[in-house]
Amino acid sequence: MKTKNVLLFLLLILFLINKKNILAQTFDSTNFHIDFGNFNMTSGKKTSTTYTLTDTVGQNAPGQYDSTGYVVKAGFQYIYDKKIPLSFEISSLDLAFGNLVPNIGSTVTNTLTISTPTGHGYDILAIANHPLKTIGTNSTIADTKCDSGTCSESVSAVWTDAFTYGFGFNANGDGTSSYFTNSTHFRQFADNSLGETAKIIMSENVPVEDHSALITYKINISPLQSAGTYENSINFIAVPKY
Amino acid sequence: MADFNLTLSPSQIEYVLKPGVTIIQAYDVTNNSDYSITLNTQLLPWIPSGTDGSVNYNQAISNPNIEFSLANSDLKIGQPFILNANSKQQIVLKIKTSSNIGLADSYYTFFVFQNQNITNSKETLSQATGKIGSHILLTVSNTENPKVESAIQNFSISPKIKDVFFRPITFNGLVKNNSDFFFKTNGKIYITKNDKTIKVLDLDQNNVLNHHSRNITCQNSSCSLNPPLWPGHYLVKVSLDSSLNATPYETSFYVLPISPILFLLFITGIIFGLKFLKKK
Repeated sequence: MKTKNVLLFLLLILFLINKKNILAQTFDSTNFHIDFGNFNMTSGKKTSTTYTLTDTVGQNAPGQYDSTGYVVKAGFQYIYDKKIPLSFEISSLDLAFGNLVPNIGSTVTNTLTISTPTGHGYDILAIANHPLKTIGTNSTIADTKCDSGTCSESVSAVWTDAFTYGFGFNANGDGTSSYFTNSTHFRQFADNSLGETAKIIMSENVPVEDHSALITYKINISPLQSAGTYENSINFIAVPKY
Repeated sequence: MADFNLTLSPSQIEYVLKPGVTIIQAYDVTNNSDYSITLNTQLLPWIPSGTDGSVNYNQAISNPNIEFSLANSDLKIGQPFILNANSKQQIVLKIKTSSNIGLADSYYTFFVFQNQNITNSKETLSQATGKIGSHILLTVSNTENPKVESAIQNFSISPKIKDVFFRPITFNGLVKNNSDFFFKTNGKIYITKNDKTIKVLDLDQNNVLNHHSRNITCQNSSCSLNPPLWPGHYLVKVSLDSSLNATPYETSFYVLPISPILFLLFITGIIFGLKFLKKK
């Protein structure tokens, strides 16, 4: 009995000497302190020059648990929400065509870039306030009908012929293939002054990060086109899919 | 050269309101460009367009029993304001419903857009302007979870000829909302063979708006079953959450060993061909 008690005492001493701290995680903000309710073997952030790895090893009952009002994501680092907000960028707003030369197409470009949050794709629509026209005299450069005479604000077609005149645009990049087959296909801008409505030119059904398309604006005038400085405004509208 | 680079957060809000209730929603508008920009705000109603989450602003009518205003002391809807380069502005939107509003959904977009600059250019010029929107989905109801009715429609499995190798088997379909209130497509596609579950696909929780349909999409992947597959009879069951009151949709398909048979026939043909040539 005595030996048993001594052994128990020694075991207790050994346990106390060898005790290790339990390393649990906490999260702090200005207003809150959350003790991490997870007794895992190891977790945290490991970094090298090129990579950052976050891990949880030993999570009990890992996975995603959904209920009305809350979601618990236990364990898996790879299901991090990226928390990308809805962002929309148009590079270079002033699209100056310089001096136009008859029968020689003049082009300028800019880029549309979009990011959308988890659960949302996007649509980008475009509309012009009116056709390119001179201030005062109201001479216009008509919207292109493309080589086949068939393109409109909702249908694109090939426009490469130097003797096809007008103003149009092409979009080439992410989310544009449903609207423009390739970079030779052009469309008119929807014309607000004619009561036309903005048309989708770029669209995707899944969340995206920094997806972009190059917009090419093209003018080709005939030798009979009135001289002058032509202007219009083109509005690009980015909305998430609901 | 100036550019337009805005972030609008949140990108969508969804509320269930009782008639006569007023709510406040804060939006953060961030100008990510190196130039200050003159912005404006606008609210437009919309109706769903197509089945992939697009919207149509042209045939929508504003609900006269919903009033929008800004709670910012220095700002009104439609009033231009300047947002400096690389800075953020909080816009606080107040949504007020009247007590006699009908129990139904209303859908709007809160837009922040760039005011058009008037330029006196000396050369032909198109000026681009930007507009970014955040959707507002409002359900007016006397209960927190209004009753909804739904149905699974146009469910199809492609390709028609299903081989054990080569092409994945894809599932397509629509969820139809037969009620006055939107809901999320909370459900699963179960694929079983000989009473054994081969795969369970979780549906994306897409919003299906009132009396409208939405394509079925799956979480983290397309709604598909990748080869190789054992030949045989497969059962497919699409089941939505019980709160959506939809009858589960069941169908089946056969996977056939077409490519192995064709391969064997090809090899046999070559052997017989060689024998025939040797005899000659």
